[in-house]
Parts: sequence; structure tokens; C-alpha cells
Amino acid sequence: MNAIEVSELSKTYGQEIKAVDNISFTVDEGEVFGLLGPNGAGKTTTIKIITTLIKPSSGLVSVFGLDVLRYPQEVRQCLGYVPQAVSVDGDLSAYENLLIFSKLFYVGKRERDERIKFALDYMDLSQRADDLVKHFSGGMMRRLEIAQALVNRPRVLILDEPSIGLDPGSKKQMWKYIQKLNEEFKVTVLITTHDMMEADELCERIAIMESGKISVIGNPRDLKRSVGGEILTVKLSTNSVPSSLSARPTAVLGSLSIPPELGSIVSQEEDTLKIVTENGERAIPRIMDYFERLGYAVESVSLNRPTLDDVFMKYGKTSLERVGVYGEARTQRRAIVRHSR
Amino acid sequence: MRSTAIFGGSYISKFATSALTIAEMEARKIRHDSTELWMRSIQPALWLLIFGEVFNTIRGLAPGGIPYIEFIAPGVLAQSVLFISIFYGILIVWERDFGILTKLLSTPSPRSSIVVGKALAAGVRGIFQAIVIFALALIIGVNLRLDPLDVTGVFIVVVLFAMCFASLSMVLASLLKTRDRMMGIGQAITMPLFFASNAIYPVTLMPIWLQYVAVVNPLSYVVDAMRSMLLTGDYAKLPVDIFALLLSTLVMVSIASIALKRLIE
Ligand SMILES: Nc1ncnc2c1ncn2[C@@H]1O[C@H](COP(=O)(O)OP(=O)(O)O)[C@@H](O)[C@H]1O
Ligand SMILES: [Mg+2]
Repeated sequence: MNAIEVSELSKTYGQEIKAVDNISFTVDEGEVFGLLGPNGAGKTTTIKIITTLIKPSSGLVSVFGLDVLRYPQEVRQCLGYVPQAVSVDGDLSAYENLLIFSKLFYVGKRERDERIKFALDYMDLSQRADDLVKHFSGGMMRRLEIAQALVNRPRVLILDEPSIGLDPGSKKQMWKYIQKLNEEFKVTVLITTHDMMEADELCERIAIMESGKISVIGNPRDLKRSVGGEILTVKLSTNSVPSSLSARPTAVLGSLSIPPELGSIVSQEEDTLKIVTENGERAIPRIMDYFERLGYAVESVSLNRPTLDDVFMKYGKTSLERVGVYGEARTQRRAIVRHSR
Repeated sequence: MRSTAIFGGSYISKFATSALTIAEMEARKIRHDSTELWMRSIQPALWLLIFGEVFNTIRGLAPGGIPYIEFIAPGVLAQSVLFISIFYGILIVWERDFGILTKLLSTPSPRSSIVVGKALAAGVRGIFQAIVIFALALIIGVNLRLDPLDVTGVFIVVVLFAMCFASLSMVLASLLKTRDRMMGIGQAITMPLFFASNAIYPVTLMPIWLQYVAVVNPLSYVVDAMRSMLLTGDYAKLPVDIFALLLSTLVMVSIASIALKRLIE
């Protein structure tokens, strides 16, 4: 069953601003689905429509088959929602924040205490249960917000930019909690983010969103593959040209080729080769070996892997600026430098 | 209809649970830190202690021969509740600026129950204020009727009044949307309401045009109701006062429930 179904959804603010422009996607039960896009893409607007906080201009949205316009209260009953902005009350204790929300979700008196205790334990906040939340760190507040969503035992957890403003440590920790929830309790997760790493780390599928439109939906691995393989940049040392070629100093290295199982050379400029391969990390030693056996000294090798950034470049509007098929800009770069002997 | 079927239990009891929970939230906050409310008590205390004491020396200012300080005690009480509730919208805007309001509205609780709860929360603050002023008035020897029924009646009026103006404040918040503007409008509203009412002088002393204003000023009805319970024991006009207050509260809460969605859009 689809946990969330969004079909031809649009939202226009005033006359002009098309915050969401005819998007469709489904979130399967039990998966972690990401809406990835820059600021102003329309992610929060989409989330607010799903959580019945605002009404769509057109299109259909349903949560577990319940239309958000017809059954808003029932929809909210099965959702856990962590808004983009801080949503815990600093003037109350952690325990009180959960207590208030369990009451607003009509959790029965008998289950209430047990669920609150569980949620605090689960998010490692039991020690601070009675402290005022305004003294908490950003990461702790985020954890409390998730705990707050948990007292309701939601079937879908919706997180709007959960790692915004968190330091890298707390960010990673939060990812772990989200993954754990998804695995242990099969909670369906819908997350929005502008952080490629986050989407890559957490999501089974992502939708790339920009200017109110979704340009592509898929799993991060396939999307990255669709941008092109991994690229090795190999620089050979010119003063170690094999003796057989040293007689021709102008065409320093000549035109090189490599066996197809190592990859294929897509460009060669003087002493620098670009090689596309399936798995760069494994190809590195074999390619170095290959050249060294031919008598060349390898000066450096660097590996460029496509990231969701490249995927974004390709499918987002910014793909207009894309240079070449392999998206040279903004790729994760790992340089493995090895000097010739 | 469907909602009642799915959740079980009556809609009304869920509505009440949600509204009371929001009010409970306020009470808990006051328990953690009541500094702000104590500070807010300073101004009414000054009205009572200085203004009241000074003008108390003038005989015949208040009608029916009652001492002036007794005359203004209910007025000061009403004024302080007015101040608290008219600025309540600022808190709502503040909660909106964080995600707290969004979060409250993402629970299955009906939107109107959240609004009623917020209005009740202003009532909770009003009661805190009322107790402080009551105590102060008794300490300085103001002669108030302390019949339990009357005191209960005064608290009910305080709560209704706070709910009415907190709702008005939420409506304003949904239109103005920023804290600064709310501050401005709050200042602009409270003083005219206060001076164009029977809070600190009898209506009969006012110029004619102001008397007309006083008649449509809800504050006048509130002060009237409080005076009849705390001072005179003359309940002749009480039903009208309470009815007027109840009606305006109902209207204001309804408008606020509709207006609130503007605040989160
Ligand atoms: N209440 C509003 N009124 C007018 N425009 C809005 C409103 N909310 C959002 N927008 C606009 O809609 C677009 C999408 O916003 P949003 O959904 O918040 O994007 P995201 O969450 O992806 O950053 C933006 O251009 C934003 O300025
Ligand atoms: Mg957003």
C-alpha cells in the first residue's frame, strides 16, 4: 500500500507564486523517501499540504488512502511531523512537551506514561526529562522533537529539513535514530533536505525538486549511475617516458590505450588521461600496474565519483550550466597521489 | 461525522480535552516561571496604590457614596486583564515564528479547540493577575464583598473577558503577522478602551460623545459586572452584562478560529 500518494499537486500563493507546480509521487509503506532541493524549491509547501496545514490549489493527496481534504483529522492522527523550525516549547520540560502532545493526540491515560518514558529512552533523553527545554542543545531539541512525534506511534514520520543548524556530530546521530526507527518499527519516513549527503545516506528513493517541480525520482545509486561512471584522472610523468619513445620528444607520450576491462580513456591532454570506469577504487591499482608495466611512471591518480550534486546538476534547472557529460564541477574528489620512483 | 466514528468518544469531549490541554500548557509555564506576570502586576498595583489613594481623598467622585478606591478596584482588575489578553496575540506570533504553532495544528485536535485553548490560556494568566490584585486590594483595606459565589462570578467574568480579547488579539495577529506591529496596535487599542470606559470614573462624568463610546465599549460591561459582584451586590444589570460578554466572546473565538490559518500559511 502507498503510505503517501501525491498526484498532480499544485499550490499557488496569491496570483503569481507557484510554490508547487504539478508534482506527483508516491511513498511506499516502510521506505525512507527524500525530497531533495534547494531553498524555495517547494518542499515545505508540499509537506504542509500532506500534513493538512495548508490546502492545495489543485491535485490529490492521500495518506494511507485517506484524502487530506476530506479526512484531515484522521490523516493527522497517523502522522508524526517535525517542522523545519524549532517546535518544542522551551518554557516547558522535556517530559511536559511530550505529555502535552500525547494529550493532543488523545493517547489514552494508561498508555501515556509508558509511551512518554519509551520515547525519552529511545531518543536518549531520559536523564534530562525534567529540565527546561530552553537549556537544551540544538541536537537535543531535534531529538526531543522526534520523541514528541513518537508518542503518537505514527505510521509515517515526516521530517522537514531535520538536520538544519546541527553540527556534523549531531547530524550523524540523528540519521542513526531515523534509520533505527525505520528498521525497528517499519515507520515510513518522508524527509526533505537540501543536503546531498543526507539524502544519499538516508533515503531509499529521492525526488529531486526545484522551482516547484520534480525533475526525477529514483534511488540514489541509480541516479548517480545515470550521470555517468566514475572518472579517474591519471597523470603520467613525462621524464620517465620509456626509452623506445624518447626519440620523439614532441609527441611526448603518444596516443595511449588501455584494455577495456579497466575502463576507457575519454580524453588525453599531454600527460593527463581521463578514464571512465565502473568502480574507480578497484581500478586504481590495476591501472597503475598496467602503466608501470609499460614503463611509465604514474605521478598521481585522482578519483571523481558522481554525487547527487551531479545528479542535481543534470536534472535540476541548473543542468543548463552543466559542463560535459561528467559534471566536472562540485564532484567529490579523492586524490590519491603517488610520486614516481 | 466520520471523525467521531473513527476515534470513538464524543467530539465534544475531545474538543474539551484539547482546549484544556493547551490551557494546562500555560499553567505549567507559569509554574516554571511567573516573573513576567509579577512584573505585569506592577502597573495595576500603582493604579490602585497611588491613583486610587490620591483620588480617594476627593469625596463624591464615585457614585452612591462609595470610597473612590473601592470604585476603581474592579476597574483596575479589568484593565490588567485587558492588557494581558490584548497582547496575547504576540505570544501566538512568537510561537508561529518558531514551529510550535504549526506543530500544535498538526495534531488531530480540531483547529478551533486550539484557539479556544489559547484563549483559555489567556484566562489562566488573567486569573493569576486577578488573584494578585485581589490580595493587594485586601491588604490595603479595600472593602470588597467576599461572598464565595461573587468571587467565583468575578473569576468567570475574568476568564470570559480574557478569552474575548485574546481572541481579538489572535485575529489581529493573523492580519498583522509580526510582533512589532502587534505591539503597536496593542498600545493603540488599550488606552482608548480604558479611558473610554467606566473603569476609573463614572460614565456620567464624561462628555456626551464619550458616553456613547462607553456604551459600546465591552470593557464597561465587564467593569459593571465586577462592580455589582464585588461592591454593590446589585445584580439588576448582571444578566445583560454577562450575556453581552458571552456573546462577544463566542463571536471573537469563532472569528479567531477561522483567522488562525492565515497565520500559518
Ligand atoms: N505563505 C507564503 N506566501 C507566499 N509565498 C510563499 C509562502 N510560503 C512559501 N512561499 C514561496 O513558495 C516557494 C516555496 O517555498 P517552500 O515550500 O518554503 O520551499 P522550500 O521548503 O523548498 O525551501 C518559495 O518561493 C517561497 O517564497
Ligand atoms: Mg523548507
